[in-house]
Amino acid sequence: MDRTPVTILTGFLGAGKTTLLNRILTGEHGLRIAVIENEFGEIGIDHDLVINADEELFEMNNGCVCCTVRGDLIRILGNLVKRKDKFDQILIETTGLADPGPVVQTFFVDDQLKEKLFVNAVVTLVDAKHVLAHIDDGDEAREQIAFADVVLLNKCDLVAPGDLDALEARIRAINALAKIHRTTNAGIGIDKILDVGGFDLDHAMEVDPHFLEPGQHHHHDASITSVGIEHDGDCDGKKLNDWLGELVRVRGADIFRMKGVFAVKDSPDRVIFQGVHMLIDAANGGPWGQRPRCNSLVFIGRNLDRAALNKGFRKCLV
Amino acid sequence: MSGLTHLGTIQAADNILDLAWDATGERLAITPSTGKIPVIDFGGNLLETHPGHGLGNAGPAWFCGRLATAGFDGKIRFGDGREIRPGRGLIERLKTSPDGNSLAAGQGKTLHVFNKDGTSNRSLPALDAPVADFAWNPANASEIALVGAGGARMWRPGEAKPFARFDWGGASLRVAWSPCGRWLVTADQTASVHLYDFSRDYPLHIQGFETKVQAMAFSADGTRLATGGGPVITVWPTTGETGPEGVTPIQLDGHDSDMIAAAFSPVTGQLASGDDTGTLLLFTFQNEKKILRKRTRLPAGISALAWHPTRAVLAVGQSDGAATLLSLEEG
Repeated sequence: MDRTPVTILTGFLGAGKTTLLNRILTGEHGLRIAVIENEFGEIGIDHDLVINADEELFEMNNGCVCCTVRGDLIRILGNLVKRKDKFDQILIETTGLADPGPVVQTFFVDDQLKEKLFVNAVVTLVDAKHVLAHIDDGDEAREQIAFADVVLLNKCDLVAPGDLDALEARIRAINALAKIHRTTNAGIGIDKILDVGGFDLDHAMEVDPHFLEPGQHHHHDASITSVGIEHDGDCDGKKLNDWLGELVRVRGADIFRMKGVFAVKDSPDRVIFQGVHMLIDAANGGPWGQRPRCNSLVFIGRNLDRAALNKGFRKCLV
Repeated sequence: MSGLTHLGTIQAADNILDLAWDATGERLAITPSTGKIPVIDFGGNLLETHPGHGLGNAGPAWFCGRLATAGFDGKIRFGDGREIRPGRGLIERLKTSPDGNSLAAGQGKTLHVFNKDGTSNRSLPALDAPVADFAWNPANASEIALVGAGGARMWRPGEAKPFARFDWGGASLRVAWSPCGRWLVTADQTASVHLYDFSRDYPLHIQGFETKVQAMAFSADGTRLATGGGPVITVWPTTGETGPEGVTPIQLDGHDSDMIAAAFSPVTGQLASGDDTGTLLLFTFQNEKKILRKRTRLPAGISALAWHPTRAVLAVGQSDGAATLLSLEEG
């Protein structure tokens, strides 16, 4: 059964989410897109394709932050997927201060939604003129950037080019995996938003930990960073499983996103994985073929210990 | 359909979300997930059609003799030409109080309560969590239970605080109150139900369902609770000192897939259940050990069931938009 892609739109109030939504809803792209809007903005109230809803957070397992999901989305989407007239896309606009984690986790843990829907991407809009203040002031902006598959560095017309380069480096230091687009008035091709495949396991193979190497970036954020690991050779499947399981059990709350490709001993195929907090998806990535058997993985999270992660992974190598 | 007489079928535009007989059983509202809402008579004849509510219709309610509808557009239409949008968010269902004097609608963190004169001075604004579902107490029309994240809160509309609360860490999809008012049951976002015994101020958490519990129903005499999580129907006794606690429930099989809807007939006491592949089961409880089962296959998944209030007639809603009236009456 074809599943409908869901795109999650985050960003602080004033970053340009409403402008982007207006562009998407009025664009001549031929797509039928439903929007679930938690930010009660200027559009929506009378728009045929917009549903306004309050966020409802709850914990699937008592007390576990990593299993916090969104009840409102489960109910609304559960209803939308029963319609005969299916949508091509569903877009969820979160509130400016929302943590994208529970939104994404909803699609990992709810079996009924998993069957009918998949997350295309987390798209985070950033106000180029004010984002540094938001990044320095609290966790919300950093976490929204950390979760992103796509960052729209918006309102670029209000910032000098040199400052934009520095800002982009700062964002890259938080999230090494996200595609960053510079925009003005949220002007961007719709395919760069709605056809990303950020949670597609095939895209996990596109991980390039090289650009995480020390020296590549000089503006490391104090708390939320990306850590890339790359090693030739094979790893032991059981040790790898045990290490990842223990890692997400102990540090899952601080790991926002992770992606990787592994060469597992005695397996001719690549093993690809991706995860959010404590939730991990893994799959067979097809044969290595002529490519060198090389393990690549990237973590994005809070207070990540680069040395400990490297050490932990090296212990999995045979 | 052996033993079942087909009285009529009406085709709606979309998956049937809800079926609602009026109090007399003369009219049946057929609410699809989207699009127009037809109302038919007992013979299956179309009486009226109500406009839909954008991207999704809510479960409607009969109020003041008319059908009130609502939906994802945040609007309520009272059936008399009045249309209001009391707040910004979507509305998922309307419910009329057992005495017929109040109509409730959950909208985000507000429970709107409308009086017959159209005022809403007993509404409950600024609640702790969005209202996922709510249920009036059949035994006391001034009490209503609200569920969502964090558990259930029991309110008397118009008061400043809930008069009782039932806390747990998760959240609920649906809530129902037993006819006598003793039991409150919630179908949870996880594969479990919470059951609260008001007579003992005592909570029960029942787990072990294969899937989320999408269907639950109390029998009209209040002696049984049917729950469906996965293809098996579990029927719990709700009588005696402790109700279902420590009792082996009745497990009924026969479904081919997840059970979506269940309803007890207020006339015959029979239990009807439907699954998402179109299997309709009818159970007749001759006693606790002898239960007769009738199995019928319909062309599309069953999404809603509603027994007629005074006759042995069942309305069956399906995922293809068909709503069928089946009679179990002899002759």
